[in-house]
Amino acid sequence: MRIPCPYCGERDAHEFSYLGDATLVRPDPAAVDAQDSALADRFHDYVYLRDNPAGAHREWWYHANGCRQWVRVTRDTRNHAIAGASLAREPGDAA
Amino acid sequence: MADRSSHDPLHDPLAGIAFDRVPPAGAYGAAGEPGVGVSTAEEPFIALAVARQGHAASVVERLRRALGVELADRPHAAIEGGTTVVGTAPGRFLVLSRSEPDLAGTLRAVLGTEAAVTEQGDGYVTFDLSGPRVPDLLAKGALVDLDPLVFRVGDAATTVIAHIGVTLWRTGETSYRLLVARSLEAAFTRFLIASGAEYGLRLENQGSGGRG
Ligand SMILES: [Zn+2]
Repeated sequence: MRIPCPYCGERDAHEFSYLGDATLVRPDPAAVDAQDSALADRFHDYVYLRDNPAGAHREWWYHANGCRQWVRVTRDTRNHAIAGASLAREPGDAA
Repeated sequence: MADRSSHDPLHDPLAGIAFDRVPPAGAYGAAGEPGVGVSTAEEPFIALAVARQGHAASVVERLRRALGVELADRPHAAIEGGTTVVGTAPGRFLVLSRSEPDLAGTLRAVLGTEAAVTEQGDGYVTFDLSGPRVPDLLAKGALVDLDPLVFRVGDAATTVIAHIGVTLWRTGETSYRLLVARSLEAAFTRFLIASGAEYGLRLENQGSGGRG
């Protein structure tokens, strides 16, 4: 599999390490219900629960053996076709 | 200079050389005109400049004006006289100089608080590779396509070759420069010799044969 790094160009997947789902948002620990178990539940979900979609997946890859940037990649989990990639430092859609 | 060339294809050009020592200067592998020349003789001054958030464009402009190089924020080597600036990541540049001992100090004066500047000269060994078979040799260890038709003069890449982290750029029609972490000089030189022996390889280095 080759990943199109926005800076380096197309690179072998072995140059990257994988983190996972790039759509998760960390819960705000200072939220009004900070003492609630609801917040603890949201943190539990954020840390542990992942979907396992068959199809488009937006995910983080770290270009460790290249430019050392985090890259946001949209990949089809069924055939590894990559629809787009963008640098994490640039907020926005991957495609 | 050692002469370890041989016509015997099964001859190991690294036989008798300790794993943790940089192989000595000399001729290795196939006899005749060497297809690959390797030299670590030049030791340029090296510094790294990393632009602070939002200052990449300004850092490019300052480096361009101060060093007189045609610079852009991309994986490319801009060479002007004895100075080379290589892009290794967004807003991150390796600067090499043949003549400026206090390179980091000079860059700090040029870039002010817009970039973090660190001295890197001790960290890297500079490998200058030349000859018609260099792309064939590198292809044995590189993950990126270094074919001369694709990897043009001035193109740069930070990648791995033979599992060793490398920043390289093409300096001419048949010449390439590679920066490798100094502690991996022996291992990388062994890769070059083992992979370049079939083309004939001439190694030029500090000559002690004992650097580890
Ligand atoms: Zn990259």
